[in-house]
Amino acid sequence: MSKDMKFLVVDDFSTMRRIIKNLLNDLGYANVTEADDGQTALPMLQAGSFDFLITDWNMPGMPGLDLLKAVRADAKLAKMPVLMLTAEAKREQIIEAAQAGVNGYVIKPFTAVTLKEKIDKILEQRANAA
Amino acid sequence: MTTAITALREEYGASIAALAGALAAGDELRFIEELDALVKRRELTLFGELRKLTHDLQSALDRFRLDPRLLTLAEKEVPDARHRLDHVLKLTDEAAHRTMDLVEKAAPLADRTAREAAEIVTVWKRFRARNIEVDEFQRMIERMDVFLEAARCDMDQVRGNLSEVLLAQGFQDLSGQIIRGVMKLVSELELALTDLIRISKSGPRTGKPLSDDTRRGFGPAIPGVNNGPAVSGQQDVDALLSGLGM
Repeated sequence: MSKDMKFLVVDDFSTMRRIIKNLLNDLGYANVTEADDGQTALPMLQAGSFDFLITDWNMPGMPGLDLLKAVRADAKLAKMPVLMLTAEAKREQIIEAAQAGVNGYVIKPFTAVTLKEKIDKILEQRANAA
Repeated sequence: MTTAITALREEYGASIAALAGALAAGDELRFIEELDALVKRRELTLFGELRKLTHDLQSALDRFRLDPRLLTLAEKEVPDARHRLDHVLKLTDEAAHRTMDLVEKAAPLADRTAREAAEIVTVWKRFRARNIEVDEFQRMIERMDVFLEAARCDMDQVRGNLSEVLLAQGFQDLSGQIIRGVMKLVSELELALTDLIRISKSGPRTGKPLSDDTRRGFGPAIPGVNNGPAVSGQQDVDALLSGLGM
């Protein structure tokens, strides 16, 4: 995986999408697309050739957990790295996300360093598994 | 002729006729008896109505008291909402101060760079016009060495501060989620109060089923608002996930 990777950032707050997009740009990832909830994101994922999904949990329409489950259930998308970036802090929710197959979980408010660490770790694990 | 008049005539006609008969015949005792019977029948009807009213009022009060949703709203969620809004206030306050701190730290660095560049430009122009002494040229070169190094450091710092300013705007997402939660509570409260008004007018109530909160999400954890066991930060999340083998 290289810096050309295509990211999809899903969050219902446009300010948060901008923040994540800017941080990704700072990390050298220039190819970032945005969606405002799971319902909008899923067809984009199915149609586009995204390499990495960063999603919020609590969104109107389709929440992030449902999006994660839909991604894992879709043969074409099942292996996509998914990082959950959310304010949801209940232990049972984190366990549920892990069981649904999330690759990383970052809690808001977060720092640029944490975001970088988690993305790097996921990509490293991918590289080792390949 | 209306049915009401017919009913009244059926109910009271005989008594009135008996009263009139007794009065015409000068039968005082019978007149008093008939009058007593008439008043007693009227009182019974009134008591019946009053009993029915009391019963309706009692059951409305019972339903009010037993409505668990209203109870939760009043006892837990309204105070929770106050905590939530307090937290929004805190978040916006922190973000505003953090942003201003960063701007205040970055501004002198930008000023210094601009001021130093302006001074070098003056000497530089003389150099371009070939109007400069050798020792002045030497000083300009030394000054430029210092300036370029300082500008690099300062602008790194300014860039870093700008990234932090960007990150500080994340409060909008968190406070927005909390405000949405409170708005949902206000609509539920509105619904419950509308129901209450309807109950007081009689008729059955229809409760709105609650959404699946865990699936949809609770929003940010708020100090003083308990939704069950929650993590306190990224370290907790990492520990929990590593416990799960991730």
